[in-house]
Amino acid sequence: MSPLVLYQLVALILLLAGLFGITQRKTLVGMLICVELMLNGAGLSIVAAAQLTPANAVLGQLGTLFVMGLAAAEATLVLAIIVVIARRFGSTKTSVVSTLKG
Amino acid sequence: MEDMAKIAFGIYALIILGGSVLAVSAKSLVRAMVGLIATLLGVAGMYMLLNSAFMALMQILIYVGAVCVLIFFAIMLTRADAGGEEADSAPVRQNALALLAVLVTGSVLGWLVLTRPQATTGVPVEVSIEKLGLGLLGPYGLAFELISVVLLVSMAGAVLLAWERRNGK
Repeated sequence: MSPLVLYQLVALILLLAGLFGITQRKTLVGMLICVELMLNGAGLSIVAAAQLTPANAVLGQLGTLFVMGLAAAEATLVLAIIVVIARRFGSTKTSVVSTLKG
Repeated sequence: MEDMAKIAFGIYALIILGGSVLAVSAKSLVRAMVGLIATLLGVAGMYMLLNSAFMALMQILIYVGAVCVLIFFAIMLTRADAGGEEADSAPVRQNALALLAVLVTGSVLGWLVLTRPQATTGVPVEVSIEKLGLGLLGPYGLAFELISVVLLVSMAGAVLLAWERRNGK
């Protein structure tokens, strides 16, 4: 197996762990942790593809840098939303926050 | 040197695997966050192996330094239950559906990765920080400006959302 395939498989493991967690976790903070795992897998995949192929390496590294920036922005907003939900519902369990459930 | 790289790759892969399992399965959210930090450090090591030390540094600075502290704030600001936030186990149906999602996605993507090998150069190319800076100021300047706008808006939005109104309304 070429090194690129190995790196892509590690990124795939990160994506799958995040996907499993986000469907199975019962609190909003746990889901946020799993989203970060998935974003990290995406970043690793992009950098590996850019560094190990003749593709534009600068574009790959800067793209991952932008993914990190977006992850930071997303974590900030999710923190604020979690604080609002905790204040309004008294809990951040997804089973409690289900007003719109039919 | 080639063997050293393989050994280091194996160690980092083990760290990532163990960390992500802990992050997904820990009953206490603080332990899940510790697993996330281990995973992030493992990915930073993989960036070092890919000859992109700047990305490894940024990974540690942004993720471990900023995002994990934010997650820790989120854990501490919400009410923590005594026996761990995820103590009551998920219903069997939910676990089965999560496993189904993982199996379908994993088999499709894994099949694609394994059956369509790309031509690789073998050795990671070296990109100097100077080139990255010139890229940020030159061809990718618009994206650079846009991400600062996104960060500003998200910061302002977070302050607005979490604002505690003093006089009732």
